[in-house]
Amino acid sequence: MFAFAVKRILQAIMVMLIISCIGFAIKHNFGDPVRDLVGQRVTPTERAEIRERLGLNDPFMVQYARFLGDAVQGDLGQSYFFKKPASEVILKKAPATLELVLCSAFIITFLSVPLGIYAAIKPQKWFSRFIMGSSIIGVSMPVFLTAILLIYVFAVELHWLPSYGRGKTVCIFGWWDSGLLTLDGLKHLIMPSIALSSIMLPLFIRLIRSEMMEVLESEYVKYAWAKGLKPRRVWWVHAFKNTLLPVITVGGVQLGIMVAFTILTETVFQWQGMGSMFIESVERSDTSLMVAYLVFVGLIFVLVNTAVDIIYGLVNPTIRVAGRK
Amino acid sequence: MRTRWQRFKQSYMLYNFLRDPVAITSFIILAFLVFTSFAAPIIAPHDPYDSSTIDIMDAQMAPAWIDGGSSEFLLGTDAQGRDMLSTMLYGMRVSILIGVGAVCLQAFIGIIVGLLSGYVRRLDNILMRFADVQLSFSTYMVAIFIGAIVQTMFGVAGYDRVAVPLLIVIIGLAEWPQYARTVRASVLAERKKEYVEAARVIGLSRIRIMLRHILPNTLSPVLVISTVQVANAIMSEAALSFLGLGMPITKPSLGSLITAGFEYIFSGSWWITIFPGILLVSLILVINLLGDWVRDFLNPKLYKG
Amino acid sequence: MKLSMLKSTGKYSLLLFTLVVSAMLLAGCGSEEKKDAAEKAAPAAPEKIVLKLAMDADPVSLDPHVQLSGGMLQYSHMVFDSLTRYDKDMNFVPRLATKWERIDDLTIRFHLRQGVKFHSGNEFTAEDVAFTLARLKTSEDYKGLFEPFEPAKVIDKYTVDLITKKPYGLVLNMSTYIFPMDKQFYSGTTDKGVAKDLIIKTDYSFANENESGTGPFVVTSREQGVKTVFTRFADYWDKSGNVEEIVFSPIKNDATRVAALLSGDVDFIMPVPPQDLERIKSTEGLELVTMSGSRIILIQLNGERNPALKDPKVRLAMAYAYNNDGVVDKIMKGFATAAGQMSPKGYVGYVPELKPRFDLDKAKALMAESGYPNGFECTMIAPNNRYVNDEKISEAFVSMMSKIGITVSLKTMPKAQYWDQFDAQVADVQLIGWHSDTEDSGNFYEFLSMCRNSETGYGQYNSGSYCNTKVDELTLAAQVETDPAKRAELCQSAEKIQYDEAGFLPIHWQNLSWASKNNMNTEDIVNVMNFPYFGDLIIK
Repeated sequence: MFAFAVKRILQAIMVMLIISCIGFAIKHNFGDPVRDLVGQRVTPTERAEIRERLGLNDPFMVQYARFLGDAVQGDLGQSYFFKKPASEVILKKAPATLELVLCSAFIITFLSVPLGIYAAIKPQKWFSRFIMGSSIIGVSMPVFLTAILLIYVFAVELHWLPSYGRGKTVCIFGWWDSGLLTLDGLKHLIMPSIALSSIMLPLFIRLIRSEMMEVLESEYVKYAWAKGLKPRRVWWVHAFKNTLLPVITVGGVQLGIMVAFTILTETVFQWQGMGSMFIESVERSDTSLMVAYLVFVGLIFVLVNTAVDIIYGLVNPTIRVAGRK
Repeated sequence: MRTRWQRFKQSYMLYNFLRDPVAITSFIILAFLVFTSFAAPIIAPHDPYDSSTIDIMDAQMAPAWIDGGSSEFLLGTDAQGRDMLSTMLYGMRVSILIGVGAVCLQAFIGIIVGLLSGYVRRLDNILMRFADVQLSFSTYMVAIFIGAIVQTMFGVAGYDRVAVPLLIVIIGLAEWPQYARTVRASVLAERKKEYVEAARVIGLSRIRIMLRHILPNTLSPVLVISTVQVANAIMSEAALSFLGLGMPITKPSLGSLITAGFEYIFSGSWWITIFPGILLVSLILVINLLGDWVRDFLNPKLYKG
Repeated sequence: MKLSMLKSTGKYSLLLFTLVVSAMLLAGCGSEEKKDAAEKAAPAAPEKIVLKLAMDADPVSLDPHVQLSGGMLQYSHMVFDSLTRYDKDMNFVPRLATKWERIDDLTIRFHLRQGVKFHSGNEFTAEDVAFTLARLKTSEDYKGLFEPFEPAKVIDKYTVDLITKKPYGLVLNMSTYIFPMDKQFYSGTTDKGVAKDLIIKTDYSFANENESGTGPFVVTSREQGVKTVFTRFADYWDKSGNVEEIVFSPIKNDATRVAALLSGDVDFIMPVPPQDLERIKSTEGLELVTMSGSRIILIQLNGERNPALKDPKVRLAMAYAYNNDGVVDKIMKGFATAAGQMSPKGYVGYVPELKPRFDLDKAKALMAESGYPNGFECTMIAPNNRYVNDEKISEAFVSMMSKIGITVSLKTMPKAQYWDQFDAQVADVQLIGWHSDTEDSGNFYEFLSMCRNSETGYGQYNSGSYCNTKVDELTLAAQVETDPAKRAELCQSAEKIQYDEAGFLPIHWQNLSWASKNNMNTEDIVNVMNFPYFGDLIIK
């Protein structure tokens, strides 16, 4: 097992090396960071001097080697805009995004499972049709449109919920700014997390429904019916447990993708997380922050996928953990 | 010998299809939408791609039945003075092309990678980590990067001509890992089953086992994802437009029309957002309903059981 | 066996997780409270008057000299105070300088306000002005503007002379950029041995995170990009405003910013997107203030890249084919002033006769006479997130040009990628907006229409490579002319030449807009430079 862990960590490092390398190779396509640091009046010569000073004119290998050297010591470079180490900026923004994703994941799990199962076991009921129909409409609405419509209805017209930002946050563990512990923070969280889950929820409902329907047709479920078990037991213990497998796999990937989807939600709600930080770093050509973000997200993906592999093994004992001999 | 047509007429597929009113309705609507969008140059009242016919003074006219509307523009005009109806028809064509094209590319890459990594142990780790790398680069980054390469290659001149294939490649390349991981998961579950063991025992080649035995059994989740993915691809294109990297503004897609309408939410010119929105939702709705039917039909356990 | 294995896998991932978490613990929490400053700020009254403010971006630093941009100047007017400032009619009004007089061709003497305190408690004197000017001359962004100046001469504690190297007509304009900084506060070195007055763009510097100005507000807490809190400076000399605290959040997205105002989450927003002006105007309890601005949007035609654009008839035809008023009316919703020249009204170079000349028939006739009667093709690039409705304007341009047979292939891109392309002149037609940072016409010509010259730096943003030596001569002559009437004549002739040759296509001047709740005197504090004087804001 130790071998597995070492292997996974090595792979994670490889992934991040490749990501940072690609990030470095393409970063000049994202514009000149100096351009955003200076006013319109600064001459091209002076800009070139600043570039030189920041080491942006060095050859690719030199810059990359310097980055790796620093990265080994835990320094992912300096954000030009925030004038702070990039890792510090990212960690400062991470709680906002993680809380948003967590809350959406919560909504998705607690809605998709009962709704998906219901739609599978009672496919002909009008409510099932309603679920499926509205799930399609949900999936057809761009996130940013859902978001602005929510703002329009609940903030502008009804004045029920705040329209932007995170509200009052509390500092926990000494570094984590949490909006989950104040009423104001929770109020601010409602609309962004609904908007974010609106695109994934339909997908999960449909996935659970289709997997569940398939399982319900299988021999062992029929056998369970034949034994005269209570419907509830058949659905939950026999059928649902077996639909979990593909759902978890897709879920793991989608959770990762959701981190990417937060970009739009965060932009519209002015939610100060990593997504909006990333998009702003691209807009400001804050390339060092951008590369640091890529490496960080790469790390999250590797971690999530490792976790998925492990849970996968737990749920389905016939599948062995990847990498085991 | 029966002709192909006769065989089709007597097939179970047609039988099943004709018995399902939802499927028939969806099919008719989809056919209608696809037909109108591809016949847009003939049936659309205006040509939104011909900028010389657009007059800025016609901008933001209300639909014909409302005060301030003109019978010339049935569904009103957008902020540039383009006829909404024609622009939507042309835009739908672009959206369908991008959606279907990108999903085909995604599915192609994803299924190959998924099959290989699920079935060939040695490749598994490499391919899945490769997918991780790919996932870290969001669609947005891929778009900026590929866009920059294309521009250095072709210059800014022909951008509106290469935009559609470009976006297909961008969205296809950015989102294949979802397929790969889904297929891989199914393959992992299938490969231990008796029928695969049996196929192996009788000495079939690996490729044959993969393509003819395992692949068909992994298609159910792939189809579920595909229908949603077409919607997602159209959505991704809209999102790219929202961030300023989508179709050129002179050749809008349905998604970018909605994006453009986003700005008009508070302004009272509701038709700029609502009409493309309704069209997009109905398009995706019928695609998904048909997708559901195909899945139910293809899944042998469901109809034989 | 299997179970134990899985458990150990769990352990390792737990270990990994702990590692990540412990790494994260190194980062701090919360915004940087400025405790010292907070103590010096006004003690909180029971009913604090708070303004919740949202703009599209927040200041990049607390150091006013780190960047020359609208956002930083807006910040400077809140926390610092300039020697003089413009009022609504572009007159200079005394701030830290109470009066001034011209001593000779090169010198203007400023008499300073007495008894003014910095946020640190130090007294404001002439030394601080000299210190600030010296610091400005080391700033990459400001040194170009202050190049004509010699070091300031301190006459006595409250008198200072600003001396220029050559006769210079814009000394007073420049004095609006001198926001005296606390010499004592910014002197010395930090713990790490770095000078406190150093200007650093990309890394920590003392001035980036600490401020001591004489302005109406003290920065009490700041989390960059999220929220900045300004608290009233108790010892501020000017008592006209009554706002005790400003909570400033940047909201980038236009629709979100408008929604925040409509829902009552903020009290004051700027800028307001044109498509929402009507909505805000008609909403009860809100007040909308707009003003014609001085930022010119123009389209540069590159005759060097595309020979067709060198044809004078073609250039004129394009000027006649562009419907400035139509765009202002339909796309900008009246939120712009159609332009026929670069200088807006009120600038010395403004010539009232140079009006937009939309006339499609004339344009077609000119095209027929030109060397390209059947039209031609050309390329165009434009930003899509820099100026108000920049993408839509470009699209309208494409459709207008197609009416006289010119096929324009347009590509729009985000501003981060745009400027490199702009400099490289990758397209025949390029769009740019410009705000004269001296509030003077000469600045337009120096950057946008003088012949490109990489040595002198003139024509740096003249991506159309328009070049007329007469314009160059007039502009250079205007630089050293101190008689306002003669300067105006020089600038106006330059403007006229460019108009007659259609050296570029002026589009419009972007308007400025502010929206707030109607219980405050928004109208009085805003101005054409877009520096709202929040120190004077009164909330009823």
